[in-house]
Amino acid sequence: MALVAPLPETAPSAADTTAASRAGRWLRYAGTPAALLLVLGALALYVGGQDLDRIEERSLNAEYLLSRFTQHLALTAVVVVLILAVAIPLGVLLTRPGARRYAGGVLAVANVGQATPTLGLIVLFAVAFVSWGVHTIAVVAILVYGILPVLRNTMVGLDQVDRAVIESARGMGLTRRQVLWAVELPLAVPVMLAGIRTALVITVGTVALATFIGAGGLGDVISNGIASYRDLVLLSGSVLVAVLALAVDWVAGIVEDVLRPRGV
Amino acid sequence: MNFFGYLAGNYTEVLGLTGQHVLLVLTGLALATLIGVPLAVLTYRTAAPRTAVVAAAGILLTIPSYALFGLLITPLGLGTAPSVTALTMYALLPVIRNTIVGLREVDPAVVESARGMGMSRRQVMREIELPIAWPVIITGLRVATQLLLGIAAIAAAVNGPGLGRLILQGLDSAGTPFAVYLALEGILGIVVLAIALDLCFAALNRFTTSRGIRA
Amino acid sequence: MPSAAAADHPMIRLERLTKRYPGQDAAAVDELTLDVPRGEIVCLVGPSGCGKTTTMKLINRLIEPTSGRIYLDGEDVTEADPDQLRRTIGYAIQQTGLFPHRTVAENIATVPRLLGWDKARTTARVEELLDLVGLDPDTYRGRYPKQLSGGQQQRIGVARALAGDPAVMLMDEPFGAIDPLTREALQNEFLRIQSEIKKTIVFVTHDIDEAVKMGDRIAIFAGDGRVVQYDTPEKVLSEPVDDFVADFIGSGAFVKRLTLTRIGDIDPAADWPVVTASDDAEARLSVLAAAESGFAVVLDAERRPTGWLAASLNRGDDRLLGTGLPLLGPAGPDHTLFDALNGMLANSTDVAVVVDDDGRYRGTLTLAAIQTLIHAAPARTGAAGPGGGTAGRTPSEREVR
Repeated sequence: MALVAPLPETAPSAADTTAASRAGRWLRYAGTPAALLLVLGALALYVGGQDLDRIEERSLNAEYLLSRFTQHLALTAVVVVLILAVAIPLGVLLTRPGARRYAGGVLAVANVGQATPTLGLIVLFAVAFVSWGVHTIAVVAILVYGILPVLRNTMVGLDQVDRAVIESARGMGLTRRQVLWAVELPLAVPVMLAGIRTALVITVGTVALATFIGAGGLGDVISNGIASYRDLVLLSGSVLVAVLALAVDWVAGIVEDVLRPRGV
Repeated sequence: MNFFGYLAGNYTEVLGLTGQHVLLVLTGLALATLIGVPLAVLTYRTAAPRTAVVAAAGILLTIPSYALFGLLITPLGLGTAPSVTALTMYALLPVIRNTIVGLREVDPAVVESARGMGMSRRQVMREIELPIAWPVIITGLRVATQLLLGIAAIAAAVNGPGLGRLILQGLDSAGTPFAVYLALEGILGIVVLAIALDLCFAALNRFTTSRGIRA
Repeated sequence: MPSAAAADHPMIRLERLTKRYPGQDAAAVDELTLDVPRGEIVCLVGPSGCGKTTTMKLINRLIEPTSGRIYLDGEDVTEADPDQLRRTIGYAIQQTGLFPHRTVAENIATVPRLLGWDKARTTARVEELLDLVGLDPDTYRGRYPKQLSGGQQQRIGVARALAGDPAVMLMDEPFGAIDPLTREALQNEFLRIQSEIKKTIVFVTHDIDEAVKMGDRIAIFAGDGRVVQYDTPEKVLSEPVDDFVADFIGSGAFVKRLTLTRIGDIDPAADWPVVTASDDAEARLSVLAAAESGFAVVLDAERRPTGWLAASLNRGDDRLLGTGLPLLGPAGPDHTLFDALNGMLANSTDVAVVVDDDGRYRGTLTLAAIQTLIHAAPARTGAAGPGGGTAGRTPSEREVR
């Protein structure tokens, strides 16, 4: 449900905000973490019940997993902060009078960027800019990929604010800057939040590919599994990455619900 | 040797992998359509099953691609099988959601008048609802195609076919002058495919959508 | 044309028809019994949510009844296959429901195709219907609904409903979403079409004026799924059974009734004697002297009125001779009482001369006579007399209560 951005023509219908979906939301609030914990518990029990060989032990120990997990979160956090720092001001700028005419071009370039394969971008940057170091390369490549949802939703969110509301605010004597902060941005928040959530989920998933250029993260566990033909390692790595992504989406969903201004 | 010189040397390989890539993506898309459209048709009317199907497809799309490919290796082995399966799963959400949205956007008065004139439910679905929802369904297929083209590059990591192989070859030859060319070939191949397939879908939409509902 | 055998049962009979929705205390339609005579337009009218649309959809089973029976042309269709049933019943709705992805011709051909007509017959039927609703086939056949105006879409909707040549048509506020001028034109046009095709029509509307205009009979629904009055428009306007109906008709009931009566249907007064163009002044004066009203009409050789005379004219007045005093436009048989009254008010007079189709003199109509006609009940144009209706609760039952 998180990836709303790739489906621009499928706005959620009003009919879905019924009592049924409100019940569904509470189920999601409580149900998702319960299901994810269940999966993790089952995995731990299963792995704990196996006799691990040396190769498996190298990946499946608490210290290693924790370090990959920490790397994964750190990379994700850095990328997301950079995405917000770039995409939101750019989105605001491109909806201001004067810069508006560049909006179409910027979105077109961003769309083409979206069509490039993430893995290809990461590898290309790695072989082309070796001197940057793997972490910088990973951050830049993944950053490029996550900008579009936030940029697009910021622009869409600001554009859909009723012109009459803006005019009446101007009519009451607010400056352009005050209108932006007091009226436009708060009204655009729900749409922007949806874009940020999308970018967050994309980023968590893409960081799993950092392993290809040796930048770490939980993708390492999957790669180890594939390289060593150890299904147990492969399974553990895949489940951990999937659970992390679903958990991040769950948290982002709650944050989205909480931060959404009342009455919008 | 520049990029084009290099490309002139291995273009047959690039073309072959491009063909594999298209085939992989279109196979996944076709399977997702065969599964997703009937699911949407069966569930779009009632809230609970509709929400459940969309949520399930949404969870699939939230699972990072590398993890999903990895999860499928254990049951399906390496190569084409997990690749096609993963791509099918990713395409389900756009296909299902757009089919549901398209069907729900059909004016209830149109369906009612069709029923009122004596068309059976099946006739209404086949002759009225699906044709009217068609442009929205096609948009879902377009979105799914763009999504799959990029994800399909990861198939190479599980020994699957396609342009991802060029990208990983580039990675393997890191430090040689050809690494960048190989990665570029893979990326540009996919970008070109993305543009070409999008044009194909635009044409398909144009030729298969009634003039009466074209925007 | 109805056969002798067919004439002894109504085209549509609803018998104690009831629709209850689960979880709702009140029935949407409550024990409704209603006969729709062959070839008539019956208007179901009432406030929104009164059950009139539900009733209509029960007839073609878009809504399945909870209990009761539905008879179509004497046959019980309560359990007939609904798809087959609907192909024999025309259906037109306010939103038109035209298929946006199909051309005008394809839309109209929907039911013929379902009925398995061959191509030639279907094509001919489409042309015929486009002509009937006044749209040039060559121009409109290949158009799509979005290329038509609202009024044109509504015409196609009616043509599509007629395509399978059904004996029965159901129409749900077919002219409801149209601007008033176009609506008026479509109503008149539909009445003209109906005078040719003579279908049995159930016509749902919330607009009492439309019901009075379109309906041979009107069934007025109260808010609770029951019909409170089922009568001719004249009876409904002149004798509303209760306050609900009176309120629903509104304050203009008497003015509305003026439009119901045509001059051709009334007996004009004969209190004005006639003189002919050839009579001389003396003869005219003696006719005037004998006239109680003090007026006389001057007719030409064809008995067409050319002017009038008053007893107050003096002997020797030139106006006593020739065609007499100038005559304002006479009222013909197609004019309504409303037209006649309007003419009187416009000309500050209290009398109109009434003529027949050929313009020959029939008598006079005074303001006082119009007043009398309006208060007289029931009006004489009605097809059905007082017991014509078989609504769940007839007026007489109501009065007894």
